[in-house]
Amino acid sequence: MSFTEQFPIVFQALNTGFLQTVKLFFVTLAGSLPLGLLIYFAARSSFKPLALLFRAIIWVVRGTPLMLQLIVIFYLPGMVFGKAIWGSGEKGRFVAAAIAFIFNYACYFAEIYRGGIQGVPIGQTEAGQVLGMSKKQVFFKVTLLQMIKRIVPPMSNEIITLVKDTSLARIIALQEVIWAGQAFLKGSQGIAGEIWPMFFTGVYYLAASGVLTVALGKLEKKLSYFSI
Amino acid sequence: MNKKIFAVIIALCLVVAIAFAACGPKDPTITPDDPGTTAAEDGTTEATVADESDLDYVLNKGVIVVGITNFAPMDYKEQGSDEWVGFDADMAKAFAAELGVQVEFVEIAWDNKVLELDAKSIDCVWNGMTLTDEVLAKMSCSNAYCNNAQVVVVAADKAENYKTVEDCMELSFAVEAGSAGEKMATENGFKATAVIDQASALMEVTAGTADAAIIDSLMADAMIGEGTAYESLTYTVPLNSEQYGVGFRLGSDLTEKLNDFFAKAYAEGKMQELAEKYNVGAALIAQ
Amino acid sequence: MAILEVKNLFKSFGKTQVLTGIDFCVEEGEVLSIIGSSGSGKTTLLRCITQLETPDSGLITVDGEVFFDGSNKKIKAAEKRRRQRMVGLVFQNFNLFPQYTALKNVTLAVEMMAKERPDYKENKKAIQKEIRDNAVSLLERVGLSDKMENYPCQLSGGQQQRVSIARALALNPKILFFDEPTSALDPELTGEILKVIKALANENMTMVIVTHEMNFAREVSDRVIFMDNGVICEQGTPEEVFDNPTQERTKAFLNKFNE
Repeated sequence: MSFTEQFPIVFQALNTGFLQTVKLFFVTLAGSLPLGLLIYFAARSSFKPLALLFRAIIWVVRGTPLMLQLIVIFYLPGMVFGKAIWGSGEKGRFVAAAIAFIFNYACYFAEIYRGGIQGVPIGQTEAGQVLGMSKKQVFFKVTLLQMIKRIVPPMSNEIITLVKDTSLARIIALQEVIWAGQAFLKGSQGIAGEIWPMFFTGVYYLAASGVLTVALGKLEKKLSYFSI
Repeated sequence: MNKKIFAVIIALCLVVAIAFAACGPKDPTITPDDPGTTAAEDGTTEATVADESDLDYVLNKGVIVVGITNFAPMDYKEQGSDEWVGFDADMAKAFAAELGVQVEFVEIAWDNKVLELDAKSIDCVWNGMTLTDEVLAKMSCSNAYCNNAQVVVVAADKAENYKTVEDCMELSFAVEAGSAGEKMATENGFKATAVIDQASALMEVTAGTADAAIIDSLMADAMIGEGTAYESLTYTVPLNSEQYGVGFRLGSDLTEKLNDFFAKAYAEGKMQELAEKYNVGAALIAQ
Repeated sequence: MAILEVKNLFKSFGKTQVLTGIDFCVEEGEVLSIIGSSGSGKTTLLRCITQLETPDSGLITVDGEVFFDGSNKKIKAAEKRRRQRMVGLVFQNFNLFPQYTALKNVTLAVEMMAKERPDYKENKKAIQKEIRDNAVSLLERVGLSDKMENYPCQLSGGQQQRVSIARALALNPKILFFDEPTSALDPELTGEILKVIKALANENMTMVIVTHEMNFAREVSDRVIFMDNGVICEQGTPEEVFDNPTQERTKAFLNKFNE
């Protein structure tokens, strides 16, 4: 089969795979951005056992490979409870992958939030206080935007890493874009032994990280009118 | 690498198992002697799970989930089609129809096939699986239905030089991790690198990153040589002879059900018919 | 009656005793300078009066109202905020809000306060205009009418400090406190701050200034307090303290400065 005949077939398969990649990316972001803030607050809680528990969780999650977490989260429940809790087929794999990713990234985000919040000088809070502003007003009107400005660069790093990390979900056979590309190596839809579809997946990642780099760069620029 | 991952998983499983054993109700595996009373003494949820046979489990959910990899001519998709076909796929469909349940094919990472069964994310492995000692120890396997061999694949222009196992000693091999091919490489003392699947092993040979690969002869028939995707490759030395079977969870009563189905399908000639269709008729084993 | 009264104030951080029984008064319209070496407790004293720190014991009254009572420390957050608005504090390193313009820095807290007024919604426009006009005139007073729309990062240190003075004045405080307002500035910029403070003194603003600028303290103050090691060592008119100190420690401190 000639390349021009192959291309539409491969293109469609890769698009389907990339859709999974994009879905996993957005679901992970939507879940881990708020969860990270909750984990940050829990880990800094004045209730010691809670704080220690969450610091231990952060340690375990950041201290073990995401690939291992995927395997444990997907396979372990069925072994322990004798029932596949994630549901069957690709949907179940997606749910398990999303949970692993959300948890993993939330722990990284919690640490970034910590850096951002602790990086705002105490003088800012005090200035708000002596002007008679409430704690809530100080957080939302004074601290928050400065914290966001501080966390945008490290956040951008993590977010772009996340695009590429989604490919790890292949370990539990989530059919993301690399999996889709690799299928043509083994043979799929009449195309076998072709390595180019897998190489071609790189174009998708480049496009995605390009769009994100521009978008995050814009956000950074938008916040560049003040310096901290 | 993979062994390490498994070691950690096993360690984690042990921790969980110990935790369950310590705070949960009695663990059935450590209760000796009388299995009858054990089941009765167990917690209610565990008892219902234990009481439900694998066959009942599949019948109750109305679907049998078949773990496969993309592996022509056993399980694959025709060009432009989204349907799994192949000798194994068609047999699995027929078996599901016999049971009166739906069939669902799920692609898995071959390395994780036992994990997938134990985690109940699939109900069987039906994908030209070689019946090795390891597989037989970890799964409940059907009767063998197909003959196979592990063969050495090399570039066609060098095939002349590699006719015996001794000739092959100097080669660097690529083999699928966890496959019968990997086992052959170890047994023969070859220098081998484990890669993610058989297709990747072939790719290594075409790319020159490995001199040779060890794959299933059935797959080699379908995928390499003139008129195929890997025209520059050929296969030479057969390293063993082996057989394919279908794997279920240990202790599953589906195994017996499948053996009966094989016998019936063979007697009716349906199995032979499908084998001819997918060009594996010569390798079929009488049931 | 004194507008600020501090009685027997104690404060320690852990085992370190920082303030040991501070007593002093400030009359309305008076300018009081507090001098002393680093670590003598001057800054902590200001932070205690402006409620950034909670003293261990003692009594503070402002304009006849109890501001802090060591025997009844628990107060509601809203009450604490009301009290903090009665006094203003100018920080050593300005602490302007970097994301807001000079004008917004001045109006922010007043707007927050206005939103809590029951009639805010009805008279929103009028109130906002009043707040803005007031802020504009404050920035004019500190000589920054042309910098109102600039962000802090676009202003010099001296200009930033003048914005922060305008910000502190926006809440119409009864007393304005300065915590070493020129220490973070280049010497050539201190003059513009001192000019603003002098102008405020001429308008009879009550001010308490912690400073290392001895000449300025002598020039602008009605009274000077010398603190050492958590106690008030000596107080009096600038002439008394600077020219005829009675305490050995005051003499030693001033000598070091004159060298």
